[in-house]
Amino acid sequence: MVFLTLSCLIRSRGPDRYWKVQEVLKHARHFRGRKNRCYSLAVKAVRRAFVYATTARRLKKRYMRTLWITRIAAASREHGMKYPALMHNLTKTSVQLNRRVISDLAITEPRTFLSLAKLAQARQQEGFHAALGDGKEPSGVFSRIVLLQ
Amino acid sequence: MSSFSRSAQQWATFARSWFLIDARVQPPGKIATMCAVRLQGKHKPIYHALSDCGDHVVVINTKHIAFSGNKWEQKVYSSHTGYPGGFKQVTATQLHQKDPKAIVKLAVYGMLPRNLHRRTMMQRLHIFPDDELPDDIRANLTEELPQPREIPRKLSEYTQEEIDAFPRLWTPPEDYKMK
Repeated sequence: MVFLTLSCLIRSRGPDRYWKVQEVLKHARHFRGRKNRCYSLAVKAVRRAFVYATTARRLKKRYMRTLWITRIAAASREHGMKYPALMHNLTKTSVQLNRRVISDLAITEPRTFLSLAKLAQARQQEGFHAALGDGKEPSGVFSRIVLLQ
Repeated sequence: MSSFSRSAQQWATFARSWFLIDARVQPPGKIATMCAVRLQGKHKPIYHALSDCGDHVVVINTKHIAFSGNKWEQKVYSSHTGYPGGFKQVTATQLHQKDPKAIVKLAVYGMLPRNLHRRTMMQRLHIFPDDELPDDIRANLTEELPQPREIPRKLSEYTQEEIDAFPRLWTPPEDYKMK
């Protein structure tokens, strides 16, 4: 889209009101109904549209993050992992990739993603082994293991 | 890609696959979640809500689904015809006897997002009360999904040796009279 309004405004020196109206209407040209040609309707619609645009700038970030998460969840389930387990173990192995990059890898470089998933899985298993310990009682704790023995 | 061209790769990425799910002795809700994920395409890394990347799902043996607890008697399906006094309520048993496909269909329909794509996605869901499939659908099938629940064996399916070897909680005394 080429906006000639401003250059025309400088050149014309004609009635100011016409050009002020055009400034508003140029944002409303694709609207539906009389909003795209009647100034009094258009100015209200354009104001609403700009308010929506302002909030949407913040919302877009939120929506994109949910989309990345959905995609990573889908990709990680292909390799038999759940999304929370994958992300948690990747942070544990200090892989500092954000969700956008990981979801891009899942789409364009599936094998890179597979290696990430394997890494997370290995870390998960390590964590499980560490949590189970060597099957002995920690010192100063009395529990059912002693009774069974 | 050396083995096949990029256009073939494109086709392979966006092709619709056909999943088969056997609903015999399975909870309808579990079946419905599996269906809803695949109908929306949420099992693919390329998922986007507007890109219409959902797959086809074929559910067989819906006549033999299994509700847990007392849902067959107590679960109520309500609808309203729109006319005065047109509020209908049927239990799961009654609905299942009337239409063995309805319970799974309603469960999936309720799990899909409430938007204009919902009816389109439902059209990609193919439900059959028995395990007989028409040939055109059978030819399309690409993958069978594992059942979410293990089917318990009946007593008649155990051999006598297995029954004898089964650990007993209580051994009846010699003179015990079985009812």
